[in-house]
Amino acid sequence: MSTKKDEGKTTDKKIERVRIMGSLERAVDEIDRLLAGSTDEVEIDFSTCTFIAVEGLEWLEELLLRADSVKRTVRFVNVPPTIYKVFKISHIESLMKAAGGVSSTKLGPAC
Amino acid sequence: MTAISKEQEQILTERAHSLTRQARLSAAVFSQYSQAQVDRIVKAMTTCAIDNAARLARMAHEETRMGVTEDKVLKNLVASEFLYAQIKDKRTVGVIKELPELNMVEVAEPIGVILGLAPVTNPTSTVIFKSICCAKTRNSIIFSPHLMAAESSNLAAKLIYEAALEAGAPKGFITWVDKSSRLRRLSEILFAHPEVDLIFATGGTQMVRAAYSSGKPALGVGAGNTPVYVHKTANVPSAAMEIIISKTFDNGTECPSEQTLIIDREIVDELISEFRRCGCYICDEAEVEKIADAVIDARTGGMNYRLVGQPANLILEQAGIKVDRHIKMILCPLKGELRLHRLAVEKLMPVLGYVAVDSVEEGINRALDINYGGGTGHTAGIFCEDDGVIERYADAINAGRIIVNSPSSIGGLGGVYNHLNTTLSFGCGTGGGNITTDNVGIKNLLNYKRVPRRKNYVISFQTTKNIYSNPGSIEHLKSLKCKNAFVISSRSASRRGHLSMVKESLPEGCHVDVFSDIGTEPDFPTIQRAVQAMRLSKPDAIIALGGGSVLDAAKIIRLFYDYPELNVQELAVNFLDFHHRMVEFPKDMRTQLVAIPTTSGTGSEVTPFAVLKDGFRKVSMIDECMIPDVAIIDAQFTKSLPREITSDTAFDALTHALESLVSTFSSDYTDGLALEALRLIFEALPETLKNPGSILHRHKLHNAATLAGMAIGNASVGVNHALAHALGARFDIPHGRANGVFLLSTIEYNAQIPSKFVSIPCYPLWVADRKYARAAQFIGLKEEAHAVDSRPQVEDPHFATEGSRGQYDGMVLALRRAVYDLGRLAGQPLSVSELGIDLADYQAALPELVETAFSDMSVRSNPRYCLAPEIVQLFQAAYAPRVRP
Repeated sequence: MSTKKDEGKTTDKKIERVRIMGSLERAVDEIDRLLAGSTDEVEIDFSTCTFIAVEGLEWLEELLLRADSVKRTVRFVNVPPTIYKVFKISHIESLMKAAGGVSSTKLGPAC
Repeated sequence: MTAISKEQEQILTERAHSLTRQARLSAAVFSQYSQAQVDRIVKAMTTCAIDNAARLARMAHEETRMGVTEDKVLKNLVASEFLYAQIKDKRTVGVIKELPELNMVEVAEPIGVILGLAPVTNPTSTVIFKSICCAKTRNSIIFSPHLMAAESSNLAAKLIYEAALEAGAPKGFITWVDKSSRLRRLSEILFAHPEVDLIFATGGTQMVRAAYSSGKPALGVGAGNTPVYVHKTANVPSAAMEIIISKTFDNGTECPSEQTLIIDREIVDELISEFRRCGCYICDEAEVEKIADAVIDARTGGMNYRLVGQPANLILEQAGIKVDRHIKMILCPLKGELRLHRLAVEKLMPVLGYVAVDSVEEGINRALDINYGGGTGHTAGIFCEDDGVIERYADAINAGRIIVNSPSSIGGLGGVYNHLNTTLSFGCGTGGGNITTDNVGIKNLLNYKRVPRRKNYVISFQTTKNIYSNPGSIEHLKSLKCKNAFVISSRSASRRGHLSMVKESLPEGCHVDVFSDIGTEPDFPTIQRAVQAMRLSKPDAIIALGGGSVLDAAKIIRLFYDYPELNVQELAVNFLDFHHRMVEFPKDMRTQLVAIPTTSGTGSEVTPFAVLKDGFRKVSMIDECMIPDVAIIDAQFTKSLPREITSDTAFDALTHALESLVSTFSSDYTDGLALEALRLIFEALPETLKNPGSILHRHKLHNAATLAGMAIGNASVGVNHALAHALGARFDIPHGRANGVFLLSTIEYNAQIPSKFVSIPCYPLWVADRKYARAAQFIGLKEEAHAVDSRPQVEDPHFATEGSRGQYDGMVLALRRAVYDLGRLAGQPLSVSELGIDLADYQAALPELVETAFSDMSVRSNPRYCLAPEIVQLFQAAYAPRVRP
């Protein structure tokens, strides 16, 4: 666990980081537990994540919705390109936002 | 058609979102799969398709009431087993092709979400085929089946999908539109859905048209109308059997199947008899009309869809023709104007038209009538043993596949009778309104990412093969193998005694003719006169004796003597890169050329260049074949050279050394030559001017010019030459002198960080400043510390780019000062005004000078990309008298 000061605020934020080892599915329970606890912000570290299934994408999308509803922040960090590309192709806006990326919205053909 | 309510439309839209979302997520996940994972999935899907081939065929036949179950089994097997055999070893993930000769690889990128249409004629085989292709290429697919075949199409999709899922495929990578009365409308919504990346449309013309008009990328098919020419050389019984196999396959539902036979009259009776013997029905004229009434829709002029895929006996019955035996196929002679005959259209049923023709020409023309009568770009066939006829036919017919001596329907499917790609989707090219004529398959379901590595730029070095240097080396002429020499020179060669020196050195008994009309600026009429003289003389050796103009002229004279058919204008076409230029010079020269320079400047004796005056401009011819065979570098020929010419030509050589050193084509080979040439010039020119009779220093200067010539012969020159060529041609200034007036400006210009870098593969790093510094160091100069801190005193500040001051400025300034000092010592003009050119005349000529210089090939190898305004500035900056930098 680490703490981070918000700019201009005196209160400290409680941040928990979860590293995904291998497939995303393995970390699902731990992330759920953190979100249910007192953590302000959950950082999901994808640096050792090797695969995300369709169910995983659906779960991540739902996780972000849940976090939003309880006013918690979930951020994706250290996302390797293979996984980042999965987010990109999936066209799920919330995943891109959590990964700190720009919108996947198609602008149409341009040259 | 019943109207769809707003609520129903909403439900359909939500269903479309749901289908595309599944497909989208699946496509995203698929991007992580390796080739091995993909291949495992494809294998499982193929096994499933083979296992279910009969079941799905039966169901398709029961649902559509079209075709033949047994043939549908075969189609399902072609779409699985045959397809698998073709694609199993193909790479579709990561690097899929390596092109070492092009230093490039191709990397696969999936398409994404594909909307696949499945037709009523092939409802299960098409689904099997497209599913396997999509898995192999890591795409997800949503099937939109034909309403009349939706049950069987969707079952095929479901079975294959379950097998894929079991083998590890991503969830939802195959989905389908359920059978309902809203199927058509849901498909239309999907056509325009933003999450669909490609429409893979196999089906009726209307659906394909709808796919194309969706505005999305689409792989469509065109309508077929297959002409098959049966040439007199064909094996008639075999052709008859193959045509029956083809046209009766699935009761003719295959769109590449034969529609009209064009038969050489010599074999028409034999072929028709064979058809009859094999169980076909041959209609008489009245029956043809009855058949046409039955199978052609009078309203549209197209086939009657109720009879598509129906057996021949049923069609005969519908036509009111009574037959009491099993009939395989109905043959209808098409009389009258073929293009207008009702039966000269696509008929996806066992009804086949035929005509007799009297020649190959007529045969091809009738085939074209059918080909362009609704089947352009699709399929054609030919039965023929004459390769020439097959080639003529293939050249004339516009079809994506021209099937030779095989059934056109099964042949068109690919993989069974030939090595075409197995497909259920026949690209028809632009003739059929498609983007491809391919048998569409995995190749068309990938994006190809080309990864070209930088070209390996080959640096070559060419120069004169035999070079004899040292005073007295003219003696080598004695060993020249020649019986008839032709000396090319200027008039002064005789006056200065050079001609007699050469004549005396030639082998005994060698006949000599002389052409001494080469002036300072030879033009093409002079070249032609010399060639004419050579034709009379018929020499086996040309001896070029003189300065750069004579040597250049001799190179061109030899070229046109050896190859009179060449065109000077074509040979002088400009080029950007030697390796890609359009001009082709001869590979070998027939007459040997010996070059004896009498000045120490151009280095023409060792270069592939020759310059010719063309009005107010100079044209350059450049090729390896222009390089002389022998160069004799004998300083005795320069002993009597006047001071002014000695200095002018030395400055030419100096410019060659400096420009080749910084050229974008410079190499370690040319650098060494350029540096040594520089050193020799700085050492020998002052001494030669002090003591013009010193053969030792003349010799060093002579060698310097040749070394610098070798350097430019391989590295070329730069902007200084472009400016000098323009000025020299316009104001009739000797080349070396014209070079000298720009030299201080161009060194300064090239030593600044360019405002635009040169884009050329052999020059990956701009290094002109450090190369000038290296030159300064090589000739023993010391860095001018003063300059580093006082840059603004440089007279041409507009050449500088922001932040262009660098660590080499001091050495570059030292070099410029050394050039200035050498020029002043030699009395060499160092600016345009010092040439005596009036400022008004110069300014008036400026636009023309700039245009000429800008078009000069020399600027292409300059280390700084020369922008037109910079060329203007270079001309302007070169006018005022020079002061020491």
